[in-house]
Amino acid sequence: MADKDLGEHDLDLFFAAARDRAPEPSGALMARVLDAAEAEARPATRDLPTPAPVRRGMIASLMSAIGGWIGVGGLATAVGAGVWIGVAGLADPVTVTGDLFGPAPLTVELMPGADSFTVAGGTGW
Amino acid sequence: MPFDAKDDRPDEALLALYAKGDRGAAHVLAQRFTPIALRVAQRMLGDAAEAEDVAQEAMLRLWRMAPGWQPGAARVSTWLYRVVANLCTDRLRKRRWVPLDAAPEPEDGAPGVAERMIEADRAAALEQALSALPDRQRQAVILRHLEGLSNPEIAEVMEVGVEAVESLVARGKRGLVAALSGRRAELGYEHG
Repeated sequence: MADKDLGEHDLDLFFAAARDRAPEPSGALMARVLDAAEAEARPATRDLPTPAPVRRGMIASLMSAIGGWIGVGGLATAVGAGVWIGVAGLADPVTVTGDLFGPAPLTVELMPGADSFTVAGGTGW
Repeated sequence: MPFDAKDDRPDEALLALYAKGDRGAAHVLAQRFTPIALRVAQRMLGDAAEAEDVAQEAMLRLWRMAPGWQPGAARVSTWLYRVVANLCTDRLRKRRWVPLDAAPEPEDGAPGVAERMIEADRAAALEQALSALPDRQRQAVILRHLEGLSNPEIAEVMEVGVEAVESLVARGKRGLVAALSGRRAELGYEHG
């Protein structure tokens, strides 16, 4: 049966016919492709506009200098605390500490016999 | 003849110019690569409208890829063949294909049938026979025998080894012979 099948040469004829009848892009397709190229294109380097310098007002500059809104919040808190201390008429800031954090802290002796070692070291070791 | 058909600047140079905003380079690239994309897509898909969509999408990806193109990494044509092939494969997966085994068996008949077929019939018959091949075989045969790529180039496009390409092409051609031989009676060339 092989001699009745197409051979290599016959297949080449089919390939040649297909190459000769290759599809060509239509004008509409080329237009769409070029439209896409235009849409995706970057502006030419020489056409790039120079970015305008950014102008900042005095308040904006001050805000920036103290750390923005976070800095302003911290500053407001400090001012408020100072006003409260002044209005309350506290004679001694230690009183404020005592009021806020309670009485003097407890002393906890972690090594009750530490003094004995000190004494022993000083007497002949 | 297209206005830029004689432009012999390398593909990579044109791509770099387009990336910098040179519209003229885009025209040359479009004239150079859109026909390739369309040819391969139409032969892979067998559908003109779908082939146009694939060609358009492939060219869009070329424009988008241009700014990041690495010179010397790959040939632009190889990259485009790969993109077109992948786009076609995606579309083919969504279709239901008749496997090659279901193609009619070669029938007995008079020899020399190809000589009696006019060229248009041969092209149409080949297109139909190609459509019956498995996707990878069809792609390899198209790139080798219709686009004229070398086996190493096809290997790069298909991301396989050269031996695999040789095997795909050989099996594809055997499939074409079987399909085209089996169509002699259908095409009216049995008694000539």
